[in-house]
Amino acid sequence: MLTHSRIQGQKGVQGIIIVNSEGIPIKTTLDNSSTVQYAGLIHQLVMKARSTVRDIDPQNDLTFMRVRSKKNEIMIAPDKDYFLIVIQNPSD
Amino acid sequence: MATEERKKRRTLLLRPSSKTQTVSVWGTNGVNLRHTQSVTGWSNRKSFSPAGISRLLEKSTVQTPKQAARVFDDDDNEVTPLPLYQTDPRAVQGRASMFFVDEISAETASDSSTAMESFTAGFSRSVFGSSRISSQSAIESCNEEIEDTFSKQDMPVYFPDLQGRRETVTRQLTEEILKEVIDIYIAETDSISLLDIFSMLVSVDADDAEVILTRNNQCADVCRNIMDSDKCMDRSVQTLNEAVKNKHVQSDSCVMLDTASNVTSWDMFDTRCCPEQNYKVHIPEPEQTNYPEPLMDSNRGTEKNMSVSSTASTASVPSSLKEIVMFGSSFNAAPDLKLLMQSVKFQRCLMVMERSILGNTFQSKLATYRWLPVLEDPDIAVQPVTVDRIDDTQSCRSPTLERLWAFSCEFSRGRSVSSMTWNKKNSDLLAVGYGESDSTTQRPGLVCCWSLKNPTWPDHVLVCDSAVMSLDFSVSSPWQLAVGLQNGSIIIYNIQMDNRSQVFTSSACLNRHLGPVWQLRWTQQGLSLTGEEMAEALFSVSADGRISKWAVINNGLDCTDVMKLKRNHNMKKNNKGQMTENVLSAMVSGLCVDFHPLDSSLYLVGTEEGLIHKCSCSNSQQFLETFRKHFGPVSHIAWSPFSPDMFLSCSSDWTIQLWKQDYHKPVLSFTSIQKAVCDIKWSPKWATVFGAVNEGQLEIWNLNASILDPVAVQPAPFGVKMTSLLFAKKTDCVMVGDSHGQVTVYQLENLSVGDRCQVKVLEELVLSATSK
Repeated sequence: MLTHSRIQGQKGVQGIIIVNSEGIPIKTTLDNSSTVQYAGLIHQLVMKARSTVRDIDPQNDLTFMRVRSKKNEIMIAPDKDYFLIVIQNPSD
Repeated sequence: MATEERKKRRTLLLRPSSKTQTVSVWGTNGVNLRHTQSVTGWSNRKSFSPAGISRLLEKSTVQTPKQAARVFDDDDNEVTPLPLYQTDPRAVQGRASMFFVDEISAETASDSSTAMESFTAGFSRSVFGSSRISSQSAIESCNEEIEDTFSKQDMPVYFPDLQGRRETVTRQLTEEILKEVIDIYIAETDSISLLDIFSMLVSVDADDAEVILTRNNQCADVCRNIMDSDKCMDRSVQTLNEAVKNKHVQSDSCVMLDTASNVTSWDMFDTRCCPEQNYKVHIPEPEQTNYPEPLMDSNRGTEKNMSVSSTASTASVPSSLKEIVMFGSSFNAAPDLKLLMQSVKFQRCLMVMERSILGNTFQSKLATYRWLPVLEDPDIAVQPVTVDRIDDTQSCRSPTLERLWAFSCEFSRGRSVSSMTWNKKNSDLLAVGYGESDSTTQRPGLVCCWSLKNPTWPDHVLVCDSAVMSLDFSVSSPWQLAVGLQNGSIIIYNIQMDNRSQVFTSSACLNRHLGPVWQLRWTQQGLSLTGEEMAEALFSVSADGRISKWAVINNGLDCTDVMKLKRNHNMKKNNKGQMTENVLSAMVSGLCVDFHPLDSSLYLVGTEEGLIHKCSCSNSQQFLETFRKHFGPVSHIAWSPFSPDMFLSCSSDWTIQLWKQDYHKPVLSFTSIQKAVCDIKWSPKWATVFGAVNEGQLEIWNLNASILDPVAVQPAPFGVKMTSLLFAKKTDCVMVGDSHGQVTVYQLENLSVGDRCQVKVLEELVLSATSK
């Protein structure tokens, strides 16, 4: 099984979004409006976080980000060419 | 003659004549002779010496056809004042010429510099521009330098050319000429110093100091009196105001673009470090740039109003994103996605993500395993179970096994676990071999490398030709995994992420094993005098009765037999003299081997007959010792990691025996239920604890507590037989493999081993046992 499909089948995973470097979602398992919302907002957040990390030390770079909220957890793996966003509700 | 002219004032006679050249010369006596060039003519100026000028006057040949008043002085020199401003039809052609502004003309700016004449571009460096010729001629008052420069100009040479060119140049002004793009070069001439008197400092004590002082005083007096004396006269001169000319120029309008950018320290770092990369990215795919770009880029084909900048530009407009999504996804998404999904980086990223997700799911279990605090989920309501828990903790002091999780996936379901081993370097990596030992089903064997971080899917999956019987990881090269198969071949795999390939196989070897390889061991062999030369060798024991040492030769494995297990003619039974020849085979299959933890040349072999032989690598003919007790095949032997003389053995005769090295009889023996014991292992933490797996249950024995019964028992789930056991190194957990392909992780709890040193306890036990 592909890692991608395995992730989808994991317990509590609500959705996976892959966003390209311009902020345009290229693959998603959520509905359109949520996807667009997540992609746009998270793109900005990651840019800010990355800028913060790199401002402190330009040789450093952001590799992974987790945002734990009351209802779920958003895990973001940013890269130069893409973002991978996974939303999981671990207590499901 | 010129000097005469200079010295006397001449009367000027006005004579009507055509406009011609006049020569004007400035001198200190105030006689001005002006020499200007008219448009049409050019006098042949041979030199600019004062004498020359007078000659020129006489030689003025070219006459303009205009009739105008002409003035002559006494000597019939024409001194007609020329109009201050002369139209210059050649001025339009001035674009083609080189203007040279020179200092001299600056000096004589008060002169009639209005008559601008231009030269064709033939002159490389002409000191005279336009009508400054007039001023040039007036430089007799200047010092010789200038005259020198003039003479250097080779002017006579140019004149004929000039004249000719002049005539040709007065052509019709056409459109093309007007539209020509002309280069005009403006340059500075060298500085010409006219007067340079150095000031001199004279010491007061010098000889001629007095003279200088008096002279200075005189000079000062003169200056003071200058206003009153007749020698100085105030004179004013009016500067000429030239007529103003308006000129309009039209050019293409400039396109203005607004650009904004945030500069951050990492942005500068990036640009400095990899500027080439940025350019490469930019040129072929302008949509994919990663550095700041203007927001409004009208050159883009698709409508992308969002800035692509990697800076934290707050100007990206979220609202426009929604419109763009539909566009973007339909145009460029498909090729992007495919490329992306196949890239290695993305796969790794997915793997990390998967592990994080699983980390969330299994957080409590993994935390228990690693002795980390279990994070309470803050959102789940706290259940009122506290009351019961207190009771539990008070009463429950006996060791228990708590099931944490099980490694299983669809590959491994239904297969029997035959062996397990930890990676020597990465203590999170567990290699599990699957294969049935009964040869009824010839399914290809499987090796899965599981990581603790992902209990739902193995990191690596290796498919082998036949059932996997044994595994071992190498110590010196931790990525090498040796796999022993049922068909007798040994394969060494390289399980690094990037290079998962078969490294070596013994199937081509002539000496390969003919029966299932029951056990493999990597051991450090070699001179241990200094402890440095530790070459590692792979030892295998197989059903064909050979113990072989393998080495990699010529890209393949080759072995040397270290020991052959000959069938032991049991003299005891046949002490009546009848030697029963065993016709089946002369060799006994060895089932297990274990190397002494301290002396790596010493090892124990367990055979199918139930005998345990102690052998040495140096002696390949004879056993050093034989231990007899078991009736059935010895399935596993383990040296104690704490007490170097003790070892345990287990066999299918339902017993576990504890031996001491020099004793021919076992020191202690343990039995619990009447099932064949498949595996036995010492605990890496406590010297008196060991675990055993028989087909029906997992047992943990603590010799400190009881030598008759195991302290903790975990029965196998119904229908499942447990087949192998492994202790986890740094934690209190055990891994149990069963016949359904699951590797279950249990945690030992409440195992109280007392305060005393375990080894001592063990040894005391042994002593007391042996003394009986």
